[in-house]
Amino acid sequence: MIELRNDSLVFSFPEVHPSATVSIEFQRSLRIPDDDKDYPLPPGLGRFPLRHVDDFADRVASSWIRHGGVMLPMYQSEAMWLNFHAEYDDERRTYYPFAIKIATGKINAVSGRAWADGIQRRPRQDYVVVPEQPWLDGYCVGKGIIRQFVAMPLGAGYTAEEQITGKAEHGGLQIMAFPMKREAFEKRFPRCPRREREVMYSMVRECAPCASDMGLAPGGRMKQEIYHDKYALPDWDLDHGSRCFVHIANSMVWRQITGSNPPTTPPTSAEYTRAGLPWFLWYDDKNSTLQGSETLATMKSVATLGKKMKDVPLPENQSVSAESIITLRRGLTKDQVRETQIPARRRGSYAHDIATRQTDRSPRGAD
Amino acid sequence: MKEEFGAYVRNKREMLRDSSAEYTVRKVAAKIGIQPSYISKVERCEVAPPSEETIVRLAEVLREDPDILLALAGKVSADLRQVILKRPKLFADLIRQLKDAPDNALLRVVREVRDGKW
Repeated sequence: MIELRNDSLVFSFPEVHPSATVSIEFQRSLRIPDDDKDYPLPPGLGRFPLRHVDDFADRVASSWIRHGGVMLPMYQSEAMWLNFHAEYDDERRTYYPFAIKIATGKINAVSGRAWADGIQRRPRQDYVVVPEQPWLDGYCVGKGIIRQFVAMPLGAGYTAEEQITGKAEHGGLQIMAFPMKREAFEKRFPRCPRREREVMYSMVRECAPCASDMGLAPGGRMKQEIYHDKYALPDWDLDHGSRCFVHIANSMVWRQITGSNPPTTPPTSAEYTRAGLPWFLWYDDKNSTLQGSETLATMKSVATLGKKMKDVPLPENQSVSAESIITLRRGLTKDQVRETQIPARRRGSYAHDIATRQTDRSPRGAD
Repeated sequence: MKEEFGAYVRNKREMLRDSSAEYTVRKVAAKIGIQPSYISKVERCEVAPPSEETIVRLAEVLREDPDILLALAGKVSADLRQVILKRPKLFADLIRQLKDAPDNALLRVVREVRDGKW
C-alpha cells in the first residue's frame, strides 16, 4: 500500500510484517556545476510538494490519469535527490530492509536498463537496498560516481530516456519497493534482549520544490556510492511489491494545474558556496560499491549536449570549490564527534534562511 | 433517542459534580444561558434534545465531544452536513460500508496512491 503523507510516499506492507514500511521523500537541491569535476553531496532544501494526480483529473494530461500516481513541480534550475527512511523495529533494533527500484522515463537509474517489474542481479543489480543506501542523487555512471538528477523538458533530447531509447514517451520517475520476506528478516535479525535503547545518529543531510511533461536528465558529477545488495536474492518478497509513477510538471504547468505556486527557485551552487554553507560526504566502509552502468555512462550531461545542440540549458553553471564539507560515516555512536571542516561562517540573510535547516544529529529513535 | 441523550448528559454532569460544585443543574444552566428547569427536563427525557447550538455549548461545559452529544441527540453538526451534502451518495455508501469495521480500521481512513497502467 502506498500513501501520500507530508509530501512523502510511504510504502507499507503490514501483511508482510508490522515494521515493513519505508518512506521516500523527493528533496529539492541545487544543481551542481556540470563541468566534469566530481562534487560532494549538496544539501536538501525541503521536500518537493506531492499531489495525487486524481485530485486534478480535469486539468492533467490523460496519460497522467492512466498512469495514476502523484506529481511534483520542478524548475529547470533545480535538482532532486531521493531520501529513504525505513521503519525502525524496536524489538530487533534494526531498520526493516527494502529493495527499491528507481527509474526515470522507465530507464533504471542504477542499471540503465528498460523498466521491468521485479528486481535483477544479473547482469547487474538494478535496485538499491535501504537502509544501507540512505540517498540517491542521480544515475550510477561510475563506481562511486553519479550524475545528478536534473529536470529538463521531455522532447528536447536531454533526458536519460531520450538519450538511451531515442524516444520521449514516459517522463517522470518510476519507483517500486519490495520488503524483505518476514522469515528472512526474523532470521537475520533476531529479537534483542530488552536494554536501554542506544542513541544513534541519523543520516540526516541538511534539509535547508499539461500537459508539458518533464523528465530527468544527467547533470553534474557527484561522489556517491551505490551499494551491493549483501542479502540473498530469495530474501526479497517479490510477491508484495508496490509501485508508483511520479510525474514532473514545470512551474508554469504546476500553477495551471493546482492553482498554487511551487516553492521558490533554489540558490545556485555558487550562491550556496559563497554563503559558506556545507556540502556532504558519506563514507560507508561496511558495504561494497557497485560499478557504474556502462549504458548510463554513455549519456552526455546536459551541459555537454547543450553545447552540441548550440543551446544554453544551464545559464548559471560556473564551477565552485566546495570547501565546507561535513563528512558522515555509517555506524557513528553517540560519543563520536562529527568530522567537520567548516571554516568560520559568514551569515548573511540568505545563509540564515538555509541555516535554519542545519544538519541535525537527532537520535534514530526520535525519527 | 431522547432517553439516551438525557441520561448521558445527566450521568456526565453528575460525575463532574462529584468532584466540583460547578456542575449543579443551576450552575451548568447559567453557563449555557438556559433555564435550570429546562436542563432538568432534558435530563429526565421529558422534552426533546435542544438545538445544535445549545448542545455544542453544553458539550463545552461538560468537557464532552460535541459530535458525540449531537449524535446521541440524533443530529449532525452543520459542517459535517455540508461535507456530506456535497457528495451525498459517496458518503452514504462509505458510511454503510464501514459500519461494521473495527475501531482500529476506522481510526484512520487511508487514501492510497493509485497505480495505473504504465
